[in-house]
Amino acid sequence: MTAASPDPAPRAALVTGAAAGLGEGISRRLAADGWAVALLDVSPEVLATAVRLAAELDLPGGRLRPIVADVADAAAMDDAVAAVVDTFGGLRLAVANAGIGGPSCEVADLTAADWDQVLAVNLRGAFLTCRAAARVMREARAGSIVTIASLFGRDPVAGGAAYCASKAGVEALTRSLSLELAPYGVRVNAVSPGNMATEMHWEELRARASASSRGFEVELEAARRDVPLGRHGTGADVGAAVAFLASDDASYITGHTLSVNGGIQRT
Amino acid sequence: MSAADPRYPWSGAPSAARFAGRRALVTGAASGIGAAVAARLALEGAGVAGMDHAWADISGRAFVARLTADVSDPAAVDAAVQAAATALGGAPDVLVNAAGVYRIRALLDISPDEWDEVMAVNLRGTFLVATTVVRAGMGPGAIVNLSSVAAYEGSAAEPSGAYNASKAGVSSLTRQMAAEWAGRGIRAVAIAPGVIETPMLRLMDDPATGRRYLESAVPLRRLGTAAEVSAVVCFAASPEAAYLTGTTIVVDGGLLAE
Repeated sequence: MTAASPDPAPRAALVTGAAAGLGEGISRRLAADGWAVALLDVSPEVLATAVRLAAELDLPGGRLRPIVADVADAAAMDDAVAAVVDTFGGLRLAVANAGIGGPSCEVADLTAADWDQVLAVNLRGAFLTCRAAARVMREARAGSIVTIASLFGRDPVAGGAAYCASKAGVEALTRSLSLELAPYGVRVNAVSPGNMATEMHWEELRARASASSRGFEVELEAARRDVPLGRHGTGADVGAAVAFLASDDASYITGHTLSVNGGIQRT
Repeated sequence: MSAADPRYPWSGAPSAARFAGRRALVTGAASGIGAAVAARLALEGAGVAGMDHAWADISGRAFVARLTADVSDPAAVDAAVQAAATALGGAPDVLVNAAGVYRIRALLDISPDEWDEVMAVNLRGTFLVATTVVRAGMGPGAIVNLSSVAAYEGSAAEPSGAYNASKAGVSSLTRQMAAEWAGRGIRAVAIAPGVIETPMLRLMDDPATGRRYLESAVPLRRLGTAAEVSAVVCFAASPEAAYLTGTTIVVDGGLLAE
């Protein structure tokens, strides 16, 4: 980074689940704002994502660092955060975004293995990301953490119990951690998206289409009509919310879940 | 990024004038959070009309127009909104409802008149100003209503039942505005501040003890400032929040997380 800034704090961020979808959108926004960003994903596709973003944003070399790692692997996440600190000289923002939707399946028919897998990525992964980041930030007495929750954590749907429970868990984790880190001046918040234009949501719509035999286009239009603002959310929408929560403009916000869902109200 | 832009003393964040060419109306603009919101909107490029029931001589900076009106009086609100539209060059596309009153009294001691007064300013006022502005031709834009963490919690130590109920009403009303007016391209977001240093804040008889007591209850161990709340209001009103509507953003240093 060019900064001749007297502030030694590096604007360095870690984003998990960064190969595609919301994680890519969040990474794009942070990089455009001047953050150095470590893009972490279990898929090696993240290497291509980093190259693509660097070219698209015309970034100076060394501004992005892709890391292939599994968020559910404790040692791998500790190593990843250590590598980020090594590369960028610190860590001021961690975004625990990695998540999977899991199978669309009623509880009565859900296998324990499927339940475990969703919880491993969505909740254990958020915990391990937060834990490694919290150790660095507590020591530095600086930084902030943003987790990605979901509308469906508060308003669950039939057939998505594991996902819904994991996201409710992410919100509780976020609030507990916000209380623990507040004395160190480290803020911890969640962003809660609704129907997003991502592969995870298209998968869900394909599952609904096959269950209802109404067709994908019909399910897509129904999902869009549920949203008062009349469109699906994007990685740019979530990226803007994350950038805000990480900024000084949010200096008195901690332990909050910021809903970014176009006004969708489910009951 | 290093030093903050001097135009934005609260933050290094805004990279451009997010409100250039926007027309803003702020109620309760003469003091406290309303005044801070008006100042920040003006710094970020908006034309700002302020409405309040009274103006001190020093409270005029940054306004295209200073309008005197009781937000609970339909005729006064109507006249003030027309005057604001004239001064701004069109109906507002940003409305911030910050006018509010706070009363501490146990439920059994609240007179019907006092209950009505609190509801009139905080809830009826928010309803009247918003509907008047939309009728006046508000197009795509944002309405930001000031709610409070008091909407979510009761307290025997500082009983403010009428205020609490009025602010829960503001959050509910915000959800309804979002649902009904999304088709007009109007977003509606509520902001729920915690304990903020404003004229509305009443520390106890012994201010130093009162401050320590309040601060000890806040996880971030300090009171919030009107500037910090105004930063969140401006985010909610800006294109950065284009996919936010119907929700309440809590700005409380972690009070409600506990």
